[in-house]
Amino acid sequence: MKKMLLVAAAIAVLVPAFPSGQRGPAPAAVVVGQLDGRPVVQPPQRGASYRDSINPSDPAMNGPVPRMPDGRPDLTGPWEGGGSDGDIESDGGLKKGELDALLLPWAKALKAERSKAIYGEPYIYCLPMSVPRINPYPWKFAMTYTSKGLQYIYALHETGDAGAHRVIYMDGRKHPDPETLIPSWWGHSIGRWEGDTLVVDTVGYNDKFWFDAIGTPHTEKLHTTERWTRISYGTLVNDFTIEDPGTFTKPVQLRFVARIVKPGVELMEYICAENNQIGLAGGYLKPGSPGIAGGPPSIPK
Amino acid sequence: MRTRCGIMLAAVGVAYLTVPAVAHHGFDTEYDSTKTISATGVVSKVEWTNPHMHVYVDVTDTAGKVKTYNLELTSPNAIQRQGWNKNDLLAGEKVTFKAHAGKVEEARAALDSLVKTSAPNQEIFKGQRPD
Repeated sequence: MKKMLLVAAAIAVLVPAFPSGQRGPAPAAVVVGQLDGRPVVQPPQRGASYRDSINPSDPAMNGPVPRMPDGRPDLTGPWEGGGSDGDIESDGGLKKGELDALLLPWAKALKAERSKAIYGEPYIYCLPMSVPRINPYPWKFAMTYTSKGLQYIYALHETGDAGAHRVIYMDGRKHPDPETLIPSWWGHSIGRWEGDTLVVDTVGYNDKFWFDAIGTPHTEKLHTTERWTRISYGTLVNDFTIEDPGTFTKPVQLRFVARIVKPGVELMEYICAENNQIGLAGGYLKPGSPGIAGGPPSIPK
Repeated sequence: MRTRCGIMLAAVGVAYLTVPAVAHHGFDTEYDSTKTISATGVVSKVEWTNPHMHVYVDVTDTAGKVKTYNLELTSPNAIQRQGWNKNDLLAGEKVTFKAHAGKVEEARAALDSLVKTSAPNQEIFKGQRPD
């Protein structure tokens, strides 16, 4: 059982936000509670991030956790945030250099190579982001009940997943035999409850996606554990553990925080490959290049 | 002064153009933040497509030559959530726009602002749609 202490009233302004180019006072990171002895911090709005979610200083954010008819926390959302788009190290609460210090030499070299590449990232060719990526669009946990109770949770992202869904099996099954598991973008996920925390255990990832926009790599040995805890109406915490002995010298522990969207905001259709013109204005890619409008859907070399 | 002005305009451009280009590689990777384009022309096409919207404007120079600008915005979902819809800008309408030129393909530009010549005080697809 996780020890959870919610300090709903303890809202403290931490640091000024990045300039957003918007009118009014700059948004700020806000401490919205405690979980397992660590503060839960709602990050500031940056650009389009959290554009459609409730302001963390809104009292509605601190309301009670809604529950499903079976008493489980309602994790549906939709949410914004809860992962990293740019850099898992800083977005996940680590100090600068802390993550890179754990990279094996080959991984460090690959990350350096990727950081120099312009438009090398699979996601910008409309391929899946996978974990723990989140972009500035809403996503949700679709909790699917059958006559047997909660059997599946689908993670649905408006974009960033090339239109795919991710399934988390909640029916008690185990992972398949690793010898038979075909590596895939989202891997094989099984979920369970520990108290009010949804624990998602995933293996069977491929090594194609990047952990973040700066190219933090991984191998097919990757095993992730996500611990999702809704601590209030407006805040969902993702304590994310990376275990990949092929890439890191020891497990990596990160914390991301998602924010509830404003009432009425729903997921919309987003077919990324429809008209992707990235790289054309800058002359890096030509019309009809792989993954670009008019071209085949593949990852360029 | 010119540089500061360019940076400010680039920041405005980000309001239109958000992901994935800007989020991942910076505005300056794709667009020239110091080179702004301002022109008046006729809308030839509005693409409500993913990942980003595009508005195409035909601009005719004094010699009668037509140049088509392909103006990139943010996602159609982000713009729809602000209340805008497909009837708010149609092919055939005369508009004035400001944009940042593509670094190599100048006419592939990032849209900063766009108004109809018939309503020059109302920017289209920016902020909450007026009632």
